[in-house]
Order: sequence, then structure tokens, then C-alpha cells
Amino acid sequence: MKITALRLFNVKRFANRGVAIEGIGNGVNVLCAVNEFGKSTSFEALHALFFQPHSGTPGDVQRLRPYSGGSPLVEADIATDAGRFRLTKQYYGGRSARVTDLATGRLVAQADEAENFIAGLIRGGTAGPAGLLWVRQGLTGIEKRSKSEEDSEKQVRASLLESVQGEVEAVTGGRRMAEIMAATQDALAELVTATGRPKTGGRYAAAIDVRDRLLAQEERLVGDVRTLREALDRRATAVKRLAELDNAEDRQARARAVESAQAAFDAAKAQGEALRTAEAEGKLARERRDAAERELSAYRTALDQVEQKQAALQAAEQRREAAVGKRHATGAGVEQAHAEVAAAEAAEQEARQLLARLDAALRAREAQARHAALSERLAGAEAARQALEAAEARLATEAIAPGAVEELQALEIDIATLRAVEEAARPSVAIAYAPGAASPILMESAPLREGEERGYEGQAELVIPGIGTLTLRSNRPAQDNSRLEKAVAKRRTLLAAIGVEDLAAARARQIRAQQIDAERRELHGRLALLAPEGLAKLRAEVAAHGARGTEDIELTDDPAQAQAEAHASLAAAEARRTGARQALRAAEPARARADEAFVEAETALAALKAERTQIEAILGPEEARGARLQELSERFEQRDRHGASAQALVQRLRATVIDLESAEAALRRARSVADATDKEAATLREAIAGLNAEISTRSDEAVEEMWGEAKEALAAASARVEGFAAEIRVLQRLASALEAARAQARDLYLKPVMAELTPLLGLLFDDASITFDDKTLLPQTLRRNGHEEDVERLSGGMREQLSVLTRLAFARLLARDGRPAPVILDDALVYSDDDRIERMFDALHRQSRDQQIIVFSCRQRAFQKLGGNVLTMTDWQP
Amino acid sequence: MFRFLHSSDLHLGKRFGNFTGDLPSRLREARHGVIARLAQHAREQGADTILLAGDTFDTETPAPEVRRQALAEMRHHAPLRWVLLPGNHDSLQAAPLWAMLAAEAPDNVILATAPQPLDLAPGVVLLPAPCTTRRPGRDLTEWMESYATPEGTLRLGLAHGAIRSFSEDAVAGDVIAPDRARRAGLAYLALGDWHGAVEVDSRTRYSGTPEPDRFKHEAPGTALLVSLAGANALPEVTALPTASFAWRELDLHLLEGDDPVTALAALLPEARARRQTLARLIATGRTHLAGHAALAGAVTEAAPDFALLELVEAGLATACAPDDLDLIDRAGALREAADALLAEAGDASRSAAEREVARAALARLYSYAQAVAS
Repeated sequence: MKITALRLFNVKRFANRGVAIEGIGNGVNVLCAVNEFGKSTSFEALHALFFQPHSGTPGDVQRLRPYSGGSPLVEADIATDAGRFRLTKQYYGGRSARVTDLATGRLVAQADEAENFIAGLIRGGTAGPAGLLWVRQGLTGIEKRSKSEEDSEKQVRASLLESVQGEVEAVTGGRRMAEIMAATQDALAELVTATGRPKTGGRYAAAIDVRDRLLAQEERLVGDVRTLREALDRRATAVKRLAELDNAEDRQARARAVESAQAAFDAAKAQGEALRTAEAEGKLARERRDAAERELSAYRTALDQVEQKQAALQAAEQRREAAVGKRHATGAGVEQAHAEVAAAEAAEQEARQLLARLDAALRAREAQARHAALSERLAGAEAARQALEAAEARLATEAIAPGAVEELQALEIDIATLRAVEEAARPSVAIAYAPGAASPILMESAPLREGEERGYEGQAELVIPGIGTLTLRSNRPAQDNSRLEKAVAKRRTLLAAIGVEDLAAARARQIRAQQIDAERRELHGRLALLAPEGLAKLRAEVAAHGARGTEDIELTDDPAQAQAEAHASLAAAEARRTGARQALRAAEPARARADEAFVEAETALAALKAERTQIEAILGPEEARGARLQELSERFEQRDRHGASAQALVQRLRATVIDLESAEAALRRARSVADATDKEAATLREAIAGLNAEISTRSDEAVEEMWGEAKEALAAASARVEGFAAEIRVLQRLASALEAARAQARDLYLKPVMAELTPLLGLLFDDASITFDDKTLLPQTLRRNGHEEDVERLSGGMREQLSVLTRLAFARLLARDGRPAPVILDDALVYSDDDRIERMFDALHRQSRDQQIIVFSCRQRAFQKLGGNVLTMTDWQP
Repeated sequence: MFRFLHSSDLHLGKRFGNFTGDLPSRLREARHGVIARLAQHAREQGADTILLAGDTFDTETPAPEVRRQALAEMRHHAPLRWVLLPGNHDSLQAAPLWAMLAAEAPDNVILATAPQPLDLAPGVVLLPAPCTTRRPGRDLTEWMESYATPEGTLRLGLAHGAIRSFSEDAVAGDVIAPDRARRAGLAYLALGDWHGAVEVDSRTRYSGTPEPDRFKHEAPGTALLVSLAGANALPEVTALPTASFAWRELDLHLLEGDDPVTALAALLPEARARRQTLARLIATGRTHLAGHAALAGAVTEAAPDFALLELVEAGLATACAPDDLDLIDRAGALREAADALLAEAGDASRSAAEREVARAALARLYSYAQAVAS
């Protein structure tokens, strides 16, 4: 199909006006005009002509209408293999669609038929992407879009992604396909998982759960109902059986059988009783006979024994007498030995005690003596001590420091010497009295005797009686007599220290002290002798010895002798005791033997006596013994006879006895039959009661109704599950059909398109190729110069170029299929740069050899280079 | 003239677990309500006896409330006499049930639990054949032949079980001789077991259940009023309506041009009756995709009017016109898918199940396509 002319009237801005584009030819046709000139209006009108039915007024049609209203009219001349036609459509008032054959002017079709004609043109009969060939500025498909979408900048810069997606959608069913697939998958997903299993929480799974639950419930209830029915059946059987058991005739028959068996048993038992009685009697008779026999023979034996027993008895008595005698004798010996032992022990004891007392007395005495001596010694020691203390006290007063006396003596001598020296040096006077001088001269108030030379110091006054007082003056320097004074002072000090008046007293005192000291030494020696370990010890000793009490024994003058005597007597006593003991030990065995012999003899005697008594008891008094023997013999014979007859009776009875055991067994059997019947009846009644309860319980629970209910509910639930399963099968079938159709569409169209696209891409880009995502069927990457680029990142220009090229590829494909369609581009290359535009132009021209391309553009300068058939718009009036 | 009401198969206590919501309890209650309706008919028609030919109770061990309430209702209608015959559902095997019924039954309830004659009126004797077990395995009515009555006595038979193939439980063997009435000299043999009313011969009838419980029988539930002028006179039988619920299978056969919705509207009962109606719409014939969708929609729309309304469309073939497919898509992959499904639905070499799946898938595709388009 090719478009040769387009005319439109009353469309959009052309209210009550019309424009025509005539002479559209093969190859590239370009309509370049400034904006608002009507290019896009033309494009939209052309689009509406082909794609909007004349009868409808959808948004796209509404947009064709001028603001002032009116009926848009669009007309196009086309050329096809079948001829040249004019397509006319008017919308709104006077809506119509017509197809006229241009060659003949004949009306080919109108209204719906005309629509069908047009549809056939653009679709080529089967599904075809003719709409793809229309490309607007920035828009890629002819899908319905909202106004806001169309206006939005975002949409203007539509990506290649969408561009090719639009194509793919058109081929593969588009968004509707996607939505339907989604709806199918959603419906499916509500029921099953991706792997086809029932989805947890989904209605299908819930239905299966309900079904399974009901299945289990139904099974359980079936069990319950079966149990119930079994109970009913068992009960019926039991009731029937019970009725049989309770049958009156059978009951009576059983009672009769029991009665007759009882009678037979009673008879047998009575017979048995008689036999037992006879047997007991027979046994008694035999026993009595035997007893008589025994008695008789015993009597005879006793008679034989009586003599010899007598002799033995006498011998035994003699033996006993002897034993008694011997026992007495040995008993006395033992007594005596015992007495001796006791006496000896007493004596020994006494001697021992005496000796002990004696020893004690001796010790006491020694102690007493020792105490006295010690006391005496203590007294002496204490006296010595007092004396010693007194002597020491005296010595303390008399004692002079050693050397003091000698020092004093030396001092005396020294003083005398010094005085002599001094006397010698002093002036002195002497007088020789004329005989008869009456009165001596007084010197210093002391008469100056004849011849007496008297010294003086410094001056001396001599009173001469009768004469006067003569004064003598030496007039010599004062003599130094300090040595003498010192010595005298020392002597004075020494004397004072000693406490005596002079040397003589000191000497006397020294001698006294020496005497006292000697005395003290002596006393000391004495004390040491008396109390060598000190007084205190001595005192303790005295006290210790003084504590002993006096003895009770009077000691003879010679205690040692007494002691020796005591020792001797003790030894004697011990010897005696030992002897006595030995004698006793010798005597005791003898007595034991004698005792034994006595017991033996006694025993033997007692035995013999008992025998004799027994025999005598058997025999009775001697005089009656013959009669007794006779009597016993007779009794034995009588009883022997009686026993024989009893035995005969037993034999007779035994021969005729009935078998008690059989009778009893018969009775038991008859009874057991009756009992078993009663028991079974009782058991049955119990069982029936139990079953009644069970049945009643279950019937109260209404299990049968519940079972019926569950059964029906299960059927409904199973049907529901099957319904879901069918639904799933349907949905799965639908999904697979859709998948298959889409895959087929892809194989049918997309691959050939790709084949066509590749050379076109080569025109634009060196070595470029596009890869498509296998699942989404969307272009994924553009490979250029060895680089992979994500198509979403391509520039707007490149995207629009790809879009145009894709459409060209589709157009080629259609043309190759014999369904050529024009490619109409409305400002389709707004983002492309000049260089790229030229390449695009090349591509367009290359295509245009067998393809009509109509380009609307406002870019006059850029599109000048496109060349081709330049179109113009002219006014047109229909 | 002796008149009585003949009914059977009340199945008191049946639970209807296959339904949901309050329908089971309504259905159950309806069964109990039958007692009162039977009594009302009997009073109105001057009958003093109601013969229930077995299966009065649905189970051998009905819940106590079912049993007690039934007896209380029966007592309420004294002096009307009720004769209860053990059927296969409530056979004598359920001895405790019958023992309890015997203990609790009021004077106007007669339990026909033994094959022994019951005097219903002077000169009228009833010969019952109670079911001894669930499956007696023999003809229990045999004894009626050998039992002699004075000349001129009106002999009535009462039995429960199958004649020929009239058996609700489809058990062979327990077959009642079809000519038992004739052979036993019965003026009328009242039968139970078959839930639909059937006239076996002029003297032998199944009354059917007075309150249907399944879609199997077309006729509405009735009870039979039987009037007997004499031992030799033919019985005069009138069916009296007793059912409160109608169970209906509606046959919707569509030709390709038919509008299913219109056809459906013509078929459905009037609005008020729908509440008491359980309807199963059996769609057969052919319809196009849109008709199919419209039918399903109409059924969904009408369903709330009904106690139950379900659509069985397995027998409905879908005819697909190109226009139908155009509504899915004129071209493209969607159309391809639709064409493929259509072809598969009509492919005779495939199994019916596969064809049905393909058909349903196409219908689904159609409805999705409509939903997406709108």
C-alpha cells in the first residue's frame, strides 16, 4: 500500500478549513514546515483514518475535533496491488466511511464494510504490526496513551526500551497479553505454587485440607458406625441366643436330667456309705482280735520272764548297796580334804597377816625414831642459825674496814714525827730555878717546871710570880705546819669513820671483830652439818616423818626375831595348804567314780524294778494267773471268729457296690449343662446390657447421622477439590497456550525483524548489534566498537534512531511479505545531531527503494539534506 | 369405606452434610415438619390412620432429640393413628431403637415390628412386613399369603423394599414379589423405600418420600390418600402435596442462536418459590463464548434467591465464532493462543477431558480479555 494524497477538513486547528497534501510519491517524501503549520494534525488525521472506526468517538477522535466543534473529515488516496482507492471518513455529525475506486469512481464499500477494507489494508489479513510503522516525535507506538502521558517530558523522551517494547507488544499481544498472562498466573498462584503444588493457605490447599479432614472424619465415623452396627448385630445374636436358652422345654429337660443324675448319685453314695461302715466294722473286729492276740501272747511271755527278773533284781540291789558304801567313803575323804584345805588356807592367811602387821609396826617405829632425830637436829640447826644471825649482827657492828687500823696507826706515827719536828724548831724557854724560888713561873697559865723546855709560837707570856709578866716574842715567820694539820684531820676523820676515839680503841675493836667472825664461822659450820640441804628441807622432812601414825602392835624388844618367826610360820602355812589341796584333788575323782557307779547301779535297779512291776501288772495277782490266762485265750478265740464274719460281710458288699465316680460324673455333667446354660444366659444378659449402653451412647452421639453427614460433606469437598483441580488444569492450559503463542510470535516476527535491523544498524553505527533479553523480549544491550551498552543508558537521539530503524526493519519485513506499508515519521528525529541525521537519511533512502516513507518535520534546514520528494500543503475544500 | 394416608421414607434426622450454611438445618427441619403436614392432610381428608412404610428414621440409632421430638409431634395429633414400619434404614436390627420407641410411643403410635396382623378397624387388618435387618435377603411379604382372614376382611399390606429395580440403595436380592398384592389377596400394598411415587399396579404403590432429599426424582414430595370401598373394590388413590422443599433438575438445552440468559429466566421458578428450591441447572447443547460467560454470570446472579442453585455445564459445548475471537484480539499472539485453544477444543482426536480443558481455557481467556479491555 502506498499513500498518494491526504486531505483533511475541519480537523483540529483547521476549523471549517481544509488542507491537502497531494502528490505523495514512492520513496522518501518530506513535508517540512514550521511548527503549528499543521504537520502533526495531518499525521493524527491520517492515523485516525486508518485506525479509528468512523462510528466511535474515543479520545483520539475527540482530539481531532476543532474547538468550535464540527465533523472532522479525512480523506486519503492510496495505491495497492488491487488498484487505487480513495478512503474517506467523517466523524461525529454525518459520520461515514467510504471507499471509492479512483479508477472507476465506483463506491467500493461504505460504513462497516469500508472499515473492514481499511483494516485489511493495514493488517494484511492476519496479525501484522502495521501500526508500528507510524512514528511520532519521541513516541514509539500507537498504543493508547493518556494525554498527560503524552505531554510529559518523560514520555517525550521515551526510551528505546519502550520503543521496542511497543513493537514487541504489538506482536506478542501487547499489554493485554501481559495482563491476561498475569491474571492467569495470579489465579493460578492463588491455588498452586510455581511447582504446581497446592499453595499453603490458598483456597485449593484449604479445600484439600477440608477434604482430607473430612476423609479422616468419615473414616473414623465409618469405624464408629461399623462398631455400632456390630454392636447391634451382636446384640441381636445375643438376644436370639438368650431366647433359645430361656426356652422352657429345654430348661425343664435340663432340670430333669439333673434330678435323675442326682438320684443315681445319692443311691451310689448310700451304698458306698454301707460298705464303708462294714469295712470299718471289719477293721475294728480285726483290730480287737489282734489286740486280744497280743494281750495273750504278752501274758504268756510275762509268765516266762517273771523268775529270771527276780534274780537279776537281787543282784542289782547288791551292786547298789556296794556302790552306796563306796560313795559314802569317798565322800568322807573328800570332806576331810576340803576341811584340811580350808584350815590350811586360814592358817596361811593368818600368818600372812601377822607378818604384814609386824612389818608395818617396824616401819612405824623406824619412822618415829627418825622423826625424833630430825626434830632434834632441826632444833639444833635453828639454834645455830639464831646464834649465827646474832654473831653476824654483832660482827656488823664491830667490823672495821680492813686496813683502817693499819692506816690509823701509820697516821699516828706520822703525826708524832711531824710534832717532834715542829717542837724541835720552835723557840723555847727553860728555867733553872734558883733554889728556893717560891713560886714557879706561869707560862700560858701553866707552871713552867724546872728543866722543862717549853716552846712557844710567836709570843709567850711568862708570869713570873712576884716579878711580873715576861713577854717573849720570837718574831720569826709563821711556821708551815699544814702537813701535821692534814694528818691530824685525817686521823680525826678516820677515827670518826671507825667510830672509836683512838687507835687503841680501834685495835680493841678489831680484835673483837675477829673473835666474832671466828665464832660466826663455827656456827656456820654447825648449821651446815645439821641441815646440809637447808632448813626448809629439814623442816619438811620433820613434818613428813611426823605424819605417820603410831602402830597397833606392841613390839617386843626384838622385832627382827619376831619378823623371822612370822616368816617361818607363813612358809609352814603355805606348805600345809599345798598339801591339803593335793589331797583334795586326789580324793575328788574317786568320789566321782563312786557316784557314777552308784547312779549306774540305781538305774539298773530301777529298770529291773519297773520290769518287774510291769510284768506283775500284766500277770496280776499270782493266785489268779491261771484263770486270767484262760480268760485271755477264750477272748482271743471269740474275737477271731467275729473278725472273720465281719470280713465276710465286707467282701459281700464290695461285690455289689455301684461306681460312685461314674454317678458323680454323670451328675456333674448334668449340672454343668444346666449351669453352663445359666452362666451363658447371665453372660448374654450382661453383654446385652453392655451393648445396650454402647448403642445408646453412640446413638446419643448420633454417629450414624454424623457419618451420613460426613459422607455427604466429603463428597461435596471432593467435588470442590476436583473443581479446583479442573480450574488449575484450565489455567495451566491457558497459561501454556499463551506462552506458546507469545513464543511463536517472537519466533515469527522478532527474529526476522532482527535480521532486517542488523544491516540498518550497520548504516548508522560501525560494527553495532543489539541483544535481546530472552524472557522479556526487550532489547538489552547495544554492542558497539566492542563495548556493551545498556540500552537504557543510550542517549535520546540514539534511542530514537534505533526506534526509526526498528520500524524500517518492520516495514522491510512487511514489504518482503508482499504487504508493503508506508513508514510515517512525524518529527521523529528531534534528538539526533546533524551527522547522525545524515546517516539516518542514508538509511531512509536506502529503504525507500521499495518503500514509501513520509516524513513530517519542522526542521527545515536539517531536512533539506534529506532530499526526496518535497511535499506541500494546499488549501482544500471537500 | 376405609381411608388412610400412605407415606414412607421420612428419614428423620438426615443431616445433609453435602451442603453448607444453614441449608442442612433447614432441610432437616423440613423433614420434621412433614409429620404435621401429613397429620393435617389426614384430618382434612377424613383419614384416621397414617401408614409409614419404613425409613421413618434415617439411621438405626437416631439422636434422642430426633426420636423424641418426632414422637411428641405424633402424639400431638391424636387421635390420628400412626403406624410405623421398620425399614432398611431403621430395621429391627436396631432393637434398642424399637425398644425405646416402644417404651416412649404414645397410644396413637403403633409400631409394626412383627409380621403379625394388626386390626386397624372392624374388618380391616394390616399385614406388616417389618425389615428384620438392613438387608433381610428374602421377601418379607411372603407370610401375607399364608395368613388367612375371615371372608370379606379388608387386607392391607405394609412393606419396605425393592420391587424389580426400585431400590434406593441399589441392592439386589431383597426383591418383593411384584404381584404380592394379588397373591396375598391384599386390597392395597403400601410400599416404602423408593423415594419417588410409583404405581406398581392398581393395588400396589410406592408413596415416595413426602419431603424429597435428592435430585434423583422429578416429582415433588407427596403422600397418598387411599380410599377403599371394599375388599374387592380397587383403591382410590390421591396424591397430596407434602414437600416444603422442591428439588429440581432444570434442563437447559441451548441452540447456538439461543440467548442463554433468556432461556434460563424462562426455566427458573418464580421468585418466591426459589427460597424453597434446590435447583440443579443441567446445561446442554451449544452456545458461544459470550453466552457461556453470560450464563455463568446469570446463575451466579440468581443463586442467592435459591436454597441452592448450581450449574452443571459439562454438557454444554462452546461454539466459537470469529467475532468471539475478535473480542479477545483481532491479531497477535493472543489471537494465536485463542485459535490454538479453539482448535484443541474441537479436536476430535483428543480426549473429552482435554477438549473440555481447552474449551474452558478459551472461555477463561475470553473473560480475561473482556476484563482487561474494559
